[in-house]
Amino acid sequence: MSPDKKMMVSMYETMNRIRLFETKLQEFFAAGRIPGFVHLYLGEEAVATGACAGLTNQDKITSTHRGHGHLLAKGGDLKLMMAEIFGRKDGYCKGKGGSMHIADFDLGILGANGIVGGGGPLALGAALANKYEKTDAVVICFFGDGASNQGTTQESLNMASAWKLPLVFVNENNGYGISCPQCKSMAVTDIADRAAAYDMPGVVVDGNDVLAVHEAVSEAVKRARKGEGPSLVECKTYRWRGHFEGDACTYRCDEELKEWMAKDPIPRFEEKLVESGVLKKKDLKEIKARIEKEVGEAVEFAEQSPLPEASALMDDVYA
Amino acid sequence: MSKKTYLQALNEALRQEMERDEKVFIIGEDVGQFGGCFGVTQGLFDTFGEGRVMDTPITESAIVGTAAGAAASGLRPVAELMFVDFIGVSMDQLFNQAAKMRFMFGGKATVPMTLRMPQGAGIGAAAQHSQSLEAWFMHVPGLKVAIPSTPYDAKGMLISAIRDENPVVFLEHKLLYGVDGDVPDESYTVELGKADIKREGTDVTIVATSLMVHTALAAAEKLQADGISAEVVDPRCLQPLDKETILGSVKKTNALVVAHEAVGFAGPGAEIAAMVAEEALDYLDAPIKRVAAPFCPVPFSPPLEQAYIPNEDDIVAAVKSIR
Amino acid sequence: MSTAAILANPASGKDIRRLVAHGSVFDNQEKVRMVRRLILGLEQAGVEQILYMPDAYGIVPRALNAISPSIPVRPVEMPMKNTQQDTVQAAGIMETLGVDVMVVLGGDGTSRAVCKGTTRVPLLPLSTGTNNVFPFMVEATVAGLAAGLVGSGRLPLDQACFRSCMFDILIDGEPVDVALVDAAVYGDVFMASRAIWDMSKVPRLFLTRCRADAIGLSAVGGALRHIEPDDPHGLALTLDDSAEQRVTATIAPGMFANVGIGDVRDMQPGEVFPIDLSPCIIAVDGEREVEIRRGRHAAVRLRTDGPWVVSVSRSMELARKGGFFVKQSSGNRGE
Repeated sequence: MSPDKKMMVSMYETMNRIRLFETKLQEFFAAGRIPGFVHLYLGEEAVATGACAGLTNQDKITSTHRGHGHLLAKGGDLKLMMAEIFGRKDGYCKGKGGSMHIADFDLGILGANGIVGGGGPLALGAALANKYEKTDAVVICFFGDGASNQGTTQESLNMASAWKLPLVFVNENNGYGISCPQCKSMAVTDIADRAAAYDMPGVVVDGNDVLAVHEAVSEAVKRARKGEGPSLVECKTYRWRGHFEGDACTYRCDEELKEWMAKDPIPRFEEKLVESGVLKKKDLKEIKARIEKEVGEAVEFAEQSPLPEASALMDDVYA
Repeated sequence: MSKKTYLQALNEALRQEMERDEKVFIIGEDVGQFGGCFGVTQGLFDTFGEGRVMDTPITESAIVGTAAGAAASGLRPVAELMFVDFIGVSMDQLFNQAAKMRFMFGGKATVPMTLRMPQGAGIGAAAQHSQSLEAWFMHVPGLKVAIPSTPYDAKGMLISAIRDENPVVFLEHKLLYGVDGDVPDESYTVELGKADIKREGTDVTIVATSLMVHTALAAAEKLQADGISAEVVDPRCLQPLDKETILGSVKKTNALVVAHEAVGFAGPGAEIAAMVAEEALDYLDAPIKRVAAPFCPVPFSPPLEQAYIPNEDDIVAAVKSIR
Repeated sequence: MSTAAILANPASGKDIRRLVAHGSVFDNQEKVRMVRRLILGLEQAGVEQILYMPDAYGIVPRALNAISPSIPVRPVEMPMKNTQQDTVQAAGIMETLGVDVMVVLGGDGTSRAVCKGTTRVPLLPLSTGTNNVFPFMVEATVAGLAAGLVGSGRLPLDQACFRSCMFDILIDGEPVDVALVDAAVYGDVFMASRAIWDMSKVPRLFLTRCRADAIGLSAVGGALRHIEPDDPHGLALTLDDSAEQRVTATIAPGMFANVGIGDVRDMQPGEVFPIDLSPCIIAVDGEREVEIRRGRHAAVRLRTDGPWVVSVSRSMELARKGGFFVKQSSGNRGE
């Protein structure tokens, strides 16, 4: 089912929001203006965008260490995110979490996660809560190809299927677990193959085609809402940057990167939007300019936000 | 008020909380029709059904993580691991996820989950089913650690744990399940982080936890016969730790022995001894003594296992070495 | 030297029809097991060497981990893109190398890609996909025997094989793609997850073949007519929701569609059927594939010179009649 015009425009905005946000972070990290480390989502924008389009705030997601895209796609606030990554007091988590630990419970974002494979069991719990409270809300568990080899992920796939939980496992297969290529870390090429072992549908889609991701995930969401249980949607994609900013990427070649950059999900979508008359070329420009402004304002907000005081250190250890 | 076993007290706490609050549910291995490995959840499946007493696969990470995720989503899960020893399989979900969510997310998450785990030696269950691991949990900011020693405390503290807004690790000693005591029929709470003086005395403070509270009380009887008046303090909770009660007792008796079944090295007694040394050294007439399991895995054969578990003579000897 | 080729598609059997319908996940390990049996069948039938298309999963090398055939089994050298293009290219290479028969593992889409590469080498398509009309659901060992008998020249080609019809897809008069079974006009510009299941977006449907026991889009025509793959005509349907005549067809595993049938026309070889819709997408053999940009003129044309397809049942029957499976030890008991 194709999304309507409004949703397509919103998807286009989201992809650009992620792209420009991450590009900005890349610059700032290189300039030494961000503490800690960041894992950028550049190149994978179509996955989070396609998967989250059409979800409500009652629907939840669990995210990963490479989570900025998921959070923005689920409606995360640019300013609060930027301020958090800058380690500022007005950030999403008052500077306590940083890039890998951003959550917004009101938006159904159960948190990014610093542990590869950490989100699966939490997603089970959130999905169980939906079922327990008899809502039709669903949970999307984003996880990478690396996480797919973690025991927690296999436990989660199993229990979700055994309990028919309203859960959609969205696998972002970018081909590498840090530096280790998929061919060295698993004997299968398609993580979706593993779905069969848990008697759930497993589907492979082009993760650089936002509409393909959206179509598959929204069908999986539909199943989940109807109580038909979990699904696994594997999205084949690629991260343009290293595992973290500063990663020299000695483990992969430039040709591979070039090949994937040629499959950039944003121009691909733009072409379709123009072809189908959803947007005109000048609309695209306007949207990009508007989002660039939003990101600029987020940076300004972050920079103006004070650093947290040491006196806040012991806050929120316990409720 | 009537006599109930520690196990019945826990069961009653679960039942009353489930009746009170629909958001409370039980999740774990064989907790349903089977009634739990030691029988703590017996009968609850019949009353509340599989929608609220949920048998999981043998999948500890998923159990702990599901509890954390459900708690963060507004429910009040009571998860059971069959043995505390299995926490190793699922530790990430407890210490990296459940414990840290609130802090990491700047106070936005609330994770009101209870994780019940039987621990302790004495039934010939050997190295992977007999440990006392409370020190692991005490070390993790964000977790509360409850370790009740009596049926009364067990019920009141479990109710408090379920109502607490934080993840609470609730440690039950297997050998306590059959111990009985007076337990009110109605619902009540025992505040987490409040120690209890199980026996008053003047000459030495014995801080003991879990099963060792009973061993310490037996030791105190023996010491009494020798003219030594021992005060037995049960912290009941190791995080938060009721420092005031412990320090108050030490200031009165001027001597401290700490007894627990966990291994001594970097055990809970190390923290208690350090705390007293830091805050009440001047009140002490003698060095602090610790009575604990030796630094080896729990052995299987009965004589070895008995040699492993600290007993009342060990406590008596420790007290006599300083009094 | 008689040579068989194996082209196994690692990507078949995983599309969205597992979600929107009830298709099975066809995991690659099962393809590996099928290839093992296939190789043993080919060897048994007298093939002297096997060439194969390399793929990212290494289906054939993995198959060889567990068997030790006495004949060489070698990959052809080609750059891999891990797309459908690999199959197209490999088929072309197989023809150049003088391969006698090809066994193709995949769905309708995989066989279509092979036929874009060549239609001159006889092929035996084995089903590992979802809605398969073109490839056969047959035990791989037997498929190996049948293909091997054809490939080793022991059976007459014109009796063991049939020649399937196919479609050319034309844009502004130029052929740009082919379809083996069906071509559907899809009233949208988004390929998205490629598969087709929403029949309300399909105003026109062209079939090279149809029968009542088929699955997929050709089942729509199968509710009306019976056309064998080598019958020299096709069927052009206009689907119209307001039409009085409606048919219910199995369009995907566990999925039925009720569609209104407007105009029904026979298609003769060479006859051009223009498509009066642009922009749109033409789905070939069940997958959204050919984009028709605004202002371009698309059309469909039937040809009878499609691929030579090895018929497993005919081949095995010919072999039986030829006494290939029987050895006389003594006496003369005959057949």
